Amino acid sequence: MPQLCLNPASGNIGTVLAPQGIVDVVGLAKSYGSRLVLHDLSFSVRAGEVVGLLGPNGAGKTTTLSILATLRGADAGTVRIAGFDLRARPGAIRRKLGFVPQAIALYPSLSAYQNLDLFARVQGLSASEARRSCAAALEEVELSDRANDPVATLSGGMKRRLNLACGVVHRPEVLLLDEPTVGVDPQSREKILKTIRALARAGATVIYSTHYMDEVERICDRVLLIDRGRLVAAGTVAEVVALAGEHPRIEITFEREPPPNWCARPLLSVNSVAGAERNKVELKLDNLSQVREVLEQARAAGGRVLEFSVHSPNLSDAFMTLTGRALRDAEPA
Amino acid sequence: MLRTVAFVFRNEFRLFVRDRAALFMLFLAPIVIIAVAGFSLGAMYGAPSRRVYVIPLVNHDHGAIAAAIVRGLSHRGALRLSEQPDLDSSLSFVARRDDAPMAIVIPAGTTAAFESGKTALVRVYIDPVKRIQASAIELQLSRLSRQIAATARRRAQKALAKRTADLRAQLDRIVARTRAIQSEFAEFERTLKGSRAELASAMARRMRARMKTLRESVQAAIERSASAQKAQLRGELARKQAAVAAVVTYLGQLQSSKREFERWFASLKTMAGSHASEIPPPPRFPAPPSDRVLAELSRPLSVSIHTPTIPALKPVFDASELPPLAVPAAPRFSLDVGRLLPAETPVLPGQFGWRERSLAGPSATVNSFDQYVPGFGVTFLLLDVVWGVSVGLIDERDWGTLERLRASGASLVGMMVGKLSSRFVVGFIQMVVLFAVGWALFGVELGRSPAMLLLPTAAIAFAAAAFGLVIACITQTRDSVLPIGAVAAMSMSAIGGCWWPLGFEPQWMRAIAQWMPTTWTMQAYNDLMIRGLAPSSAVVPAAATLGLGTLFLLIGIVGSPRIYK
Repeated sequence: MPQLCLNPASGNIGTVLAPQGIVDVVGLAKSYGSRLVLHDLSFSVRAGEVVGLLGPNGAGKTTTLSILATLRGADAGTVRIAGFDLRARPGAIRRKLGFVPQAIALYPSLSAYQNLDLFARVQGLSASEARRSCAAALEEVELSDRANDPVATLSGGMKRRLNLACGVVHRPEVLLLDEPTVGVDPQSREKILKTIRALARAGATVIYSTHYMDEVERICDRVLLIDRGRLVAAGTVAEVVALAGEHPRIEITFEREPPPNWCARPLLSVNSVAGAERNKVELKLDNLSQVREVLEQARAAGGRVLEFSVHSPNLSDAFMTLTGRALRDAEPA
Repeated sequence: MLRTVAFVFRNEFRLFVRDRAALFMLFLAPIVIIAVAGFSLGAMYGAPSRRVYVIPLVNHDHGAIAAAIVRGLSHRGALRLSEQPDLDSSLSFVARRDDAPMAIVIPAGTTAAFESGKTALVRVYIDPVKRIQASAIELQLSRLSRQIAATARRRAQKALAKRTADLRAQLDRIVARTRAIQSEFAEFERTLKGSRAELASAMARRMRARMKTLRESVQAAIERSASAQKAQLRGELARKQAAVAAVVTYLGQLQSSKREFERWFASLKTMAGSHASEIPPPPRFPAPPSDRVLAELSRPLSVSIHTPTIPALKPVFDASELPPLAVPAAPRFSLDVGRLLPAETPVLPGQFGWRERSLAGPSATVNSFDQYVPGFGVTFLLLDVVWGVSVGLIDERDWGTLERLRASGASLVGMMVGKLSSRFVVGFIQMVVLFAVGWALFGVELGRSPAMLLLPTAAIAFAAAAFGLVIACITQTRDSVLPIGAVAAMSMSAIGGCWWPLGFEPQWMRAIAQWMPTTWTMQAYNDLMIRGLAPSSAVVPAAATLGLGTLFLLIGIVGSPRIYK
């Protein structure tokens, strides 16, 4: 069972697991020259679990996944995947892994099927197995009708889906996904997430690197917040958000600047009134049930509300709270 | 690893087949370039030109030489003469027309100079821009010059032969006359010597006769003298003999008287008694000659006088002592016509020229495509394989497929081998196709054993694939691999003799060329296709190419981490 623990490196509190998972990372460190990329990173992932690796650009997510995918060596620390030590048995680990890189790692001039077939065969599938697996993978990512089209002719979303399919065509036990939805349209994104959920349901262990916190919230059992190569927090989304001590917020846009003290009972605090947009007000709430009360007070004070939005605390808020930095500049559409 | 090699190999072919630009570069582009180069530069290799060149000609001579030049050049199918009034018009003609690479000026007096044995020079004005075309025409002009000179030489040779024959006849007559004189003189000498011998003989005979007469007369005189002397002597002797006999008688008597005296004296002494001692002794009589002497004296003288005999006189004349016959020596004419004139009609020095012959056969004409099909084939093989390998590796790295394959369990070595071997096969097939097209379309010579062409082909395809790995290590980005790969491949082709014969290059460049696989490959191709050498001639060049390819491969393996870092 996960336990809420203090991360000794960051001083933050999170959920870490005893090193008994299908993926165990202990004290992982990596630097490129003088630049420290990973510092004493430890976590564990249980079989069948979907774990989100969340952090801003440059946090160390891709490096972590590259080390797990046996593409890069670590300077320190140990990694065990499916019971194999990464340093001692990289070949055995590769057989257990499915790796979906951040880039669309496909051959543009080959057809979707040919790309799948290559990776299936390289992973050791026989010709007949590869045929079946390729067809299934194409079906899964809804690209069967484009199987024989060159990748270069596919849309960006289709390429992303095919990119995912190439990583899972051989049904790996552990799936490493490095920002698989970057730059895709919402439809394709949904399909990708759907596929990942299906894989997880089928028993695959998924480590999902992203800086889209909503994706983590939607598909991940747990989340690992990483910043500057350090594990900031770990646990379920709710646990991490709670760990940051965040509250819901409401942002109200009035027709004109509201009268002073319109809010008879300051709920918590008036968080901000932007200088140039003095008709906007953001309030922290104790809970979401206070939304109605706030809006009524505004109307009673004569302020005409043009629009309002309610913001529940999320991982981005938690990250900001925990690190003092934004998780990313913009959220996906 | 073999599995990885096989799948990467197959995948490379799939990628290649999908790449229309690569297919174009692989087959169509080289065929087009080969055709263009072969047709346009064929003249460099002596191939008959299909183009007609116009040569402006200024004729200030109007003599036999000028006529021969005009006639000779007019008969060349690829040339047409255009008579021009002066040099300026000729030069402007050459400058404004691209089919006129040169102008010819025949100066006044060219024929006269030539016929008088002086050097006759025709001036040729070359447009440097059309140097190659001009060179081809110069070759024809050179042939024509040789023909004109040869014709003149043959004529001179005939005239000289006739004059020599006349001279020989005259000399033969002189020699015959000289020999007759020599013969007459020899006869005279023989006659003279005979007369001299007869004279000597006659003189000797007469001398001997006269000597005999003289001897006989002297002998008679001597004998007469001796007889007279004998008689006279005999008388004298008789008289002397008589006197001696008287003396002898006296002496006999004296001797008796002595003995009687001695007896007297002895009786005297007896008679003197005591006084006998006082009587002095009588004088002593000399002892008379002995009786023998006296007998001798009394013996009659017998004197004989021999008459001397005159020995036979030898004639004092000896023919050999005659003074030598001062016959002047017969004149010795050493008129050796054979020496005065050579055994054969003297010949003018022949022309020093050359005639092309192929190393392998009678035809010295080279099909320019024999150079350009393998030459440009190797160039495009290098371009395609070097680009294929280097761009392929860099693309895979940039696409992320390389990492993905590695994460999928494919070994780096297996991927390398798969990629290189597929590009090797592509390059090999490319050359085979180009040779086939060259043979079918351009009639290239495939040598004694066409199959042997596969050996250098395999070697250069291997070296090119390995060199592609080196280029990938050096460049590391797609943007730089294309220009650097192209420059490297084309430089290697140019220096290695793919575009022109290696002999065109300076020594230092040829030294560099020894380190290029293209050099050895072209040597093998030229040996097999142009020189027609034995198939085994390709073994060493192919081995050298393989050696350099292996060197490239080692460098590439050492540097390959740079590609993936």
